[in-house]
Amino acid sequence: MSLQKANYFELFSLPVSFQLENARLEVAYKKLQSEFHPDKAVNADDRARVQALQQTSMINDAYATLKSPLKRAAYLLKLAGIDAEEHNQLHLDEAFLIQQMEMRETLASLIEGEDIEGLDTMKDSIDKERVAILASFETKFTASHFVDAKSIYNKLQFIYKLLDEIDKAEEKLLDY
Amino acid sequence: MALLSISEPGQGKPQAHAADTKVVKKRAIGIDLGTTNSLVAIASEGHAHVLCDHDGHCLVPSVVHYAEDGKVTVGYDAWLKGAEDSRNTISSVKRLMGRGKEDIHYHLPYEIVSADNGGMPVIKTAAGNKSPVEVSAEILKTLVRRAEAEFGEELEGAVITVPAYFDESQRQATKDAAQLAGIKVLRLLGEPTAAAIAYGLDRKQEETVMIYDLGGGTFDVSLMRLEQGVFKVLATGGDAALGGDDLDRAIIQWILKEADITDELSYAQLNSLSSIARHAKHELTHSEKTQVTFEQWSGSLTREQFNTLIDVLVEKTIKACRRVLRDAKVTIGEISDVVMVGGSTRTPRLRERVSEFFGAQVHTEIDPDKVVAVGAALQADVLAGNKYGDDILLLDVIPLSLGIETMGGLMEKIIPRNTTIPVARAQQFTTYKDGQTAMSLHVLQGERELVSDCRSLAMFELKGIPPMVAGAAVIEVTFQVDADGLMEVQAKELSTGTVTSVVIKPSYGLEDRDIEKMIMDSYSSAASDKEARALQESRVEAERIVEALVSALVVDGKLLLSEAEYARLEEGILQLQKTIEGGDSEAIHEASEALNEATLEFAGRRMNTQIKTALAGHSIEEID
Repeated sequence: MSLQKANYFELFSLPVSFQLENARLEVAYKKLQSEFHPDKAVNADDRARVQALQQTSMINDAYATLKSPLKRAAYLLKLAGIDAEEHNQLHLDEAFLIQQMEMRETLASLIEGEDIEGLDTMKDSIDKERVAILASFETKFTASHFVDAKSIYNKLQFIYKLLDEIDKAEEKLLDY
Repeated sequence: MALLSISEPGQGKPQAHAADTKVVKKRAIGIDLGTTNSLVAIASEGHAHVLCDHDGHCLVPSVVHYAEDGKVTVGYDAWLKGAEDSRNTISSVKRLMGRGKEDIHYHLPYEIVSADNGGMPVIKTAAGNKSPVEVSAEILKTLVRRAEAEFGEELEGAVITVPAYFDESQRQATKDAAQLAGIKVLRLLGEPTAAAIAYGLDRKQEETVMIYDLGGGTFDVSLMRLEQGVFKVLATGGDAALGGDDLDRAIIQWILKEADITDELSYAQLNSLSSIARHAKHELTHSEKTQVTFEQWSGSLTREQFNTLIDVLVEKTIKACRRVLRDAKVTIGEISDVVMVGGSTRTPRLRERVSEFFGAQVHTEIDPDKVVAVGAALQADVLAGNKYGDDILLLDVIPLSLGIETMGGLMEKIIPRNTTIPVARAQQFTTYKDGQTAMSLHVLQGERELVSDCRSLAMFELKGIPPMVAGAAVIEVTFQVDADGLMEVQAKELSTGTVTSVVIKPSYGLEDRDIEKMIMDSYSSAASDKEARALQESRVEAERIVEALVSALVVDGKLLLSEAEYARLEEGILQLQKTIEGGDSEAIHEASEALNEATLEFAGRRMNTQIKTALAGHSIEEID
């Protein structure tokens, strides 16, 4: 099988879609790993070992990309010919941006007040929003409304960033 | 495609011909290269055993003694020499692997001589200076000899275990030691992973396992997840300054208090106290009470008393377990198995407390001193191609994030920690000034934002970029981490595909040719390595100054400088370039400083002009 030519979905024999069957991905991933992992080539020549290394790296990257909803969304956009990281033409509505700014202020005050419970509550509510936005991404993408899908993706980036910052703040407060 | 490899791919041995191999069993060993003790084991058909010497000693103390005549003693005999010749007896060398001198904040009985920042520490011995890699290689050689003596044939290779948290430089140093000892490394394996393999936990379907490893001087706890045959380290923690020695120390303190000894103790007395304490600790593993005698004093210590003495230590380990659970966002209830590793886990109180805390099955069936070596041997046998049962696949993760330095001394993560390896990530860079032909990259490892809080892995100079306007050249740098957690960097210029020459400057690791040199020359080459590094650094610095000045002269030189001033700076550049050609890092450094000094006036004038231009709303081109 030519790994290089396949897109990540084809690599794992999965349909190109935002909806993902986790179990199928896991099984396919494990199968590919056990075939290509460098551990299977410790006694092979240099060339084969380098190849095993590159192939497994690619499989790992593909797996990580599909596993994460955010990365999967960006990858689907890329397959549709849209650069998700292109920020010159951000179409984010003002209401969303204002909401983001407010949430950041809330986060800052929770951190200052060392309010772990408050951080947890905030995380829960943002996580619900995340799930809702993911669903709307799927709707737009499936309907081939790629421009809308991209702007939803850019919203998701904000949401994931915020969740990450809450995590970091919690870690700091819990003294790691 | 013009790919240029910064580090040379490993040079594998040529394959054995099919004709020679017949049905000869391939022998591969597992090595537990420990801080206090090391072991070697071999497996066959899914069963492993540790190799012992004629006296029945299976553990090889990780101690190396260097005599004045160059004679090297390893293991138990070296340990015995520690009493009278501590300065030439190297113990706990694992703590120094891949570390800089600035990392050593504790007392060592021997002398570290590598002076300043950046270099590997070197230990001063009667037989010359020895790097930690060389010392470790001596231990490895001893282990390999033990295995070869048993089988009388050449070995296929070895799996060597490393702590899960070992970073790139520490892993690299371990692999370098193996290369120096002439061992082919089949895989560097995480110690907790090895312990889990020893118990066959890798063959279960879905498991969350805690590995509790209390060694002589270190405590490591690792949380691992097994999912569909994939073994993954979720989080690690512990205490680098907590171990079985602390249990002995608790007993020593008790003796001193009971015997009312307040005087300063001699080395011999301390030594004797240590062995008395160790003996008492061992006794209390199976007995409820033991008699302790030190000089004229004698008393009895019950297990109950001992438990109280060590309670603080035990709770410390439990706290570390809690922290790891929180870090991995795993609850205690999810843990199905706990594996005990390290001789100190024989202590009954410890076992009780750990099993009470986790409420899971606590594995102690395999000798806790041998369990890591056993797991390593089982994996070595599989990697050597001796199949038995189902194939297992061990996927490791990178324990610490890899990144590069960006503007303002910040670390930008390129491969985040816990990413499954092998992994490759590419990052594109561009030139920031016209005609720029070189670019330096600083590779780091760590979780903190500031470069100064991370570990510096390497500095790369990408040279020979075709001169273009700023931003036109695109250099793609690929960071590749292999299954052992070791990194290789590749770079290519995308717009032209030009091949560029690259200089690698590993901060702590050794380059392949360094190792070759070390193999040829048993005396440490560390001093010259350090000088080479210093020279390279001073050259990069000097070239940067020359480049900056040349581009400034092109833009503003004629405008802002008198002819005499211009000529003086030109002369300065020529001078510095000449010095760069020479091999004296100190001279290059001084010449760089001097040229920098000479440009201050010019720099000031440029700044003024730029401010004026900005205020007037004109670009520099317009003034020209």
